[in-house]
Amino acid sequence: MSARTAEPMPAGAQSGMTARPPEAKPALQPMIVAKGLRKSFGARQVLHDVDLTVLPSEVVCIIGPSGSGKSTVLRCLAFLERYDDGTVHIEGDLLGYHEVGSRRMPASDRRVDQVRASLGMVFQHFHLWPHMTALANVTTALRVVKRMPRTEAEAQGRAMLAKVGLADRADAYPAALSGGQKQRVAIARALAMQPKAMLFDEPTSALDPELVGEVLAVMKHLAAEGMTMVVVTHEMGFAAHVADRVVFMDAGRIIEQGPPSELFSNPKSERLQQFLATWRERSL
Amino acid sequence: MDVALLVQYGPAILSGLLMTVQVCVLAGILAVSLALPVSLAVSSPLWLLRVAARTYIEIMRGTPVLIVLFLLYYGGPSIGVRLDALPAGVLGLGCYGAAFFAEIFRAGFQSIPKGQIEAARMVGMTNLQIMRQIKVPQMLALILPPGTNQFIILVKESALLSIITVAELTKTATQMANETFAVVEPYLVIALLYWLFIEIIAQTAAKIEERIRWQG
Repeated sequence: MSARTAEPMPAGAQSGMTARPPEAKPALQPMIVAKGLRKSFGARQVLHDVDLTVLPSEVVCIIGPSGSGKSTVLRCLAFLERYDDGTVHIEGDLLGYHEVGSRRMPASDRRVDQVRASLGMVFQHFHLWPHMTALANVTTALRVVKRMPRTEAEAQGRAMLAKVGLADRADAYPAALSGGQKQRVAIARALAMQPKAMLFDEPTSALDPELVGEVLAVMKHLAAEGMTMVVVTHEMGFAAHVADRVVFMDAGRIIEQGPPSELFSNPKSERLQQFLATWRERSL
Repeated sequence: MDVALLVQYGPAILSGLLMTVQVCVLAGILAVSLALPVSLAVSSPLWLLRVAARTYIEIMRGTPVLIVLFLLYYGGPSIGVRLDALPAGVLGLGCYGAAFFAEIFRAGFQSIPKGQIEAARMVGMTNLQIMRQIKVPQMLALILPPGTNQFIILVKESALLSIITVAELTKTATQMANETFAVVEPYLVIALLYWLFIEIIAQTAAKIEERIRWQG
């Protein structure tokens, strides 16, 4: 019975990686490795054995219907959600737990902070701090976490705001910014900490349609610079053009993954075919 | 209206006013500084802290402040707590007010969206840093209007300290009435003075409120 073949791993998952231009750094250590992730909210299991590996500079888009567990996976990768089973390693370090022999214990807050210091996160609803200017939103962590002198932090903060095209809005409070501007400040805030990977949780879903473009443009730019990115999104266009790999989730499982060209033009699973058909119908 | 009477008692009334201001400031500081840890304890993950803080709030909220003052000042000595009238009054008024301020603070903390805390976590802030940078500044702005109200109530309750012999405004007026049999003059004057004091508090709070509005 062991001869039964498991669901074939999409060939694209591998070929997509090896097809990348050969870089100087050999045998890349994966940036993020999630194995066998399980998560339940009460009696409802929302993740079933999710495996996901993200290599340095890779852009991975997670797509799927609402409630498929996309955001939960992302939040587990950041340990904003405590996963029940499985492991998340960030650059080889176990996130959220430490292992004592075969048992595992919750890691201290300090340890969690250490391990996830290489991750930046951008949320659907921005979560800017409303009592601070755009600049202060970007510089506060530099000052209090990295203990950077104010002038240096502000210089760096302004550079980050310039990078997202908001140099002239440094002194504005969030309430005075548009949704797209808020999200770009949130991206600058995360980038200021110089993360090695950025997690985006539906970064454009709360935006008016005409503001989506400015945020996606910033993200594209980041991707082009070689930032490692995991993006939960409904923006199929973005996934098709920017992602190295697209992961399709449904009902708490990864159903299919591969390079966007392959996944979108030749979906293997019926569930993804349906999902894409619905999406095409809607966007006509 | 006997103006000469007011002139005669002027210094006494003034010192009564100063005592009322002093009592209110001290009790206010005590109430707020006690309320912060109590409000945090109420939503603490530690069971014992939660129950202790809840019990404290419920007892203080459910007891008239006059009874708290009586118990402290007259009942204190029977358990070995001998306090002068002024410290007993400040302590009673402060501990009583703390329960109400704690509830205001708790509501303030709760109204800060969880996502803001997660964003702070993700840039590496510790719990203490999140408290200082994110929660407390926003909470202070949120609680300013209800906090001002509570402080005004505290000022009015301070009149009860006259009953445990603290020489504040009301005590001064009562004494004046007893000595001169005049009723209208003393109480009308202190009513005006209370009103003035409270008006200054309200106006100051309104000014602060205007300054910390974040709409850019």
